[in-house]
Amino acid sequence: MLVMSRRQGETILIGDDIEIVIAHIGRSRVKVGIRAPRQMPVVACEMKLVREENLAAAGTAASDLSRLVARLHPPG
Amino acid sequence: MVTKNFGEISFEPDTELEFPGGLPGFDGRRRFVAVRLAESDPLIYLQSLEDADLCFITMPILAVDPLYKLKVSAEDLDLLGLPQARQPRIGEDVMCLTVLSVRETGLTANLLAPIVVNLRNRKAVQAVASESEYSHQFVLMPQEASVCS
Repeated sequence: MLVMSRRQGETILIGDDIEIVIAHIGRSRVKVGIRAPRQMPVVACEMKLVREENLAAAGTAASDLSRLVARLHPPG
Repeated sequence: MVTKNFGEISFEPDTELEFPGGLPGFDGRRRFVAVRLAESDPLIYLQSLEDADLCFITMPILAVDPLYKLKVSAEDLDLLGLPQARQPRIGEDVMCLTVLSVRETGLTANLLAPIVVNLRNRKAVQAVASESEYSHQFVLMPQEASVCS
């Protein structure tokens, strides 16, 4: 991974048309501005995790679960 | 409507949930109903009204973690039609569900991104808690029963 040191207000370019601006540096968070072509999706990494998790969850069949529910409610 | 998991279901129009922003991975799916069956309590099925095959299996998040701290972003509060001044209370302002997945490692719950439903207007979002420590794959039941010692 390439690691660069930047101060607040400084910019990084990726290729010709992606611009990353370090907009604000706080105590525990940085605000990052991203200028990219409209067709390029820019999302926080958590969003990708949630999308993948939803796709997996949607593939979970109710039949898989009935087996597990049986374990949630052990007989007797 | 006829669904994959439940066969034919009917529902009252005022029980419909609306996700104005869709769900990540299913952006175009906005209308769902929550189905609860006595035999699978406490599970709540979120059945899409636009796709008969799409159904998420969820349960109340407090049943997984009674101390769950809900944090909804300003943007999501807007979508829910809730004030930004304070966080909504589970059970009073909102219903909060965690989406379950069955995978090789067992049953997991997505605590990173709970489903939040405004109890007053039935608008819903999947609220990604981007600054939380919660896991998107919280293990509820390992596949192999663990040995108690």
